[in-house]
Amino acid sequence: MNIYTPLESAVPWVVQAAILAGILMLAAGFLIRRRIAVENGGLVPDEGVTLRNCFEVVIEALANLARDRIGEDWRKFFPIVGTMFVFILFSNLIGLLPGVEGATSDANTTWAWACISWIVYTWVGVAKHKQKYLIKFMGPSFFEREMFGRTVHFRLLAPVILAIELPLDLARILTLAVRLLANMFADHTVIAVWISLVPIGVPAVFMGLGLIVSFLQAFIFSLLTMIYIGLALEEPH
Amino acid sequence: MIRNFGKVVLWSLFLIALPMVAGAEDGSGGDGKWGYALGAGLAIGLAGLGCGIGQGLTAGNTTAGIARNPGASGTMFTSFILGMVLIESIAIYGLVIAFMLQGKI
Repeated sequence: MNIYTPLESAVPWVVQAAILAGILMLAAGFLIRRRIAVENGGLVPDEGVTLRNCFEVVIEALANLARDRIGEDWRKFFPIVGTMFVFILFSNLIGLLPGVEGATSDANTTWAWACISWIVYTWVGVAKHKQKYLIKFMGPSFFEREMFGRTVHFRLLAPVILAIELPLDLARILTLAVRLLANMFADHTVIAVWISLVPIGVPAVFMGLGLIVSFLQAFIFSLLTMIYIGLALEEPH
Repeated sequence: MIRNFGKVVLWSLFLIALPMVAGAEDGSGGDGKWGYALGAGLAIGLAGLGCGIGQGLTAGNTTAGIARNPGASGTMFTSFILGMVLIESIAIYGLVIAFMLQGKI
């Protein structure tokens, strides 16, 4: 019994939840844009706790992290990472409300975001290094010789290390998806169990924990994506 | 302590095996299903054990670092939160296995 049941037959609840999170993101964006689109409106911060101030704090923290992890062209990748963060944050927070379910409580959303993250950092790495992207997975070079006019590095352990590193790279999709999904699922389960045991007072504590966990999980997802992009962009040695 | 460790291990194994051997009237609720229940309990139990040790070490070292150098506590807090969440995720994997096994009982 949640607010998605009226349209359940036509549209699955996950899609409805994702659309709801998207509408909330767009609404927040419009509200903040209207505030700063005024003449000289963007220079002076507002007083107190407003929507714009919260977002400014968050985006400034994310931008600092992006500059540290990704390097000098962090602005190219900031939209995807920021969207990831805001969507997952809003979906997690929606899931804490009693009659509503968040999109990240379903495995499909988290797998989709994990695949998007993998595609982004692999595409970026291959676009920058072309075929030398695989050198990252081949381990250390034991010795080098001058052959064919270039130095050729002999990476002797390459078959073994390649067989380990490639599944490890794909396992990043698994860990990203399962971490987010299981944290949200465990949170809802714990709250449901406590509501059935002690309906007054104690579930509020666990909902507070759920607030912290949802924020942290969104942050960790986007931070790990930034780290993976930074690792894909650096020079192979 | 180490001298008696072998005795403790052997006695506990014996005491665990004793009801399995003696209880021939076992298996009232399904014959092979106790394995799933035991696996589910052990999965989250051992995962929680490892996670507790890891997070305890992280928290202790962060506290010692902040006590030593309070000016750098911002950087330390960031890496503290990052470490906690990543260690927590391993315990969550154990929880997922526990739920999957518990659904099979």
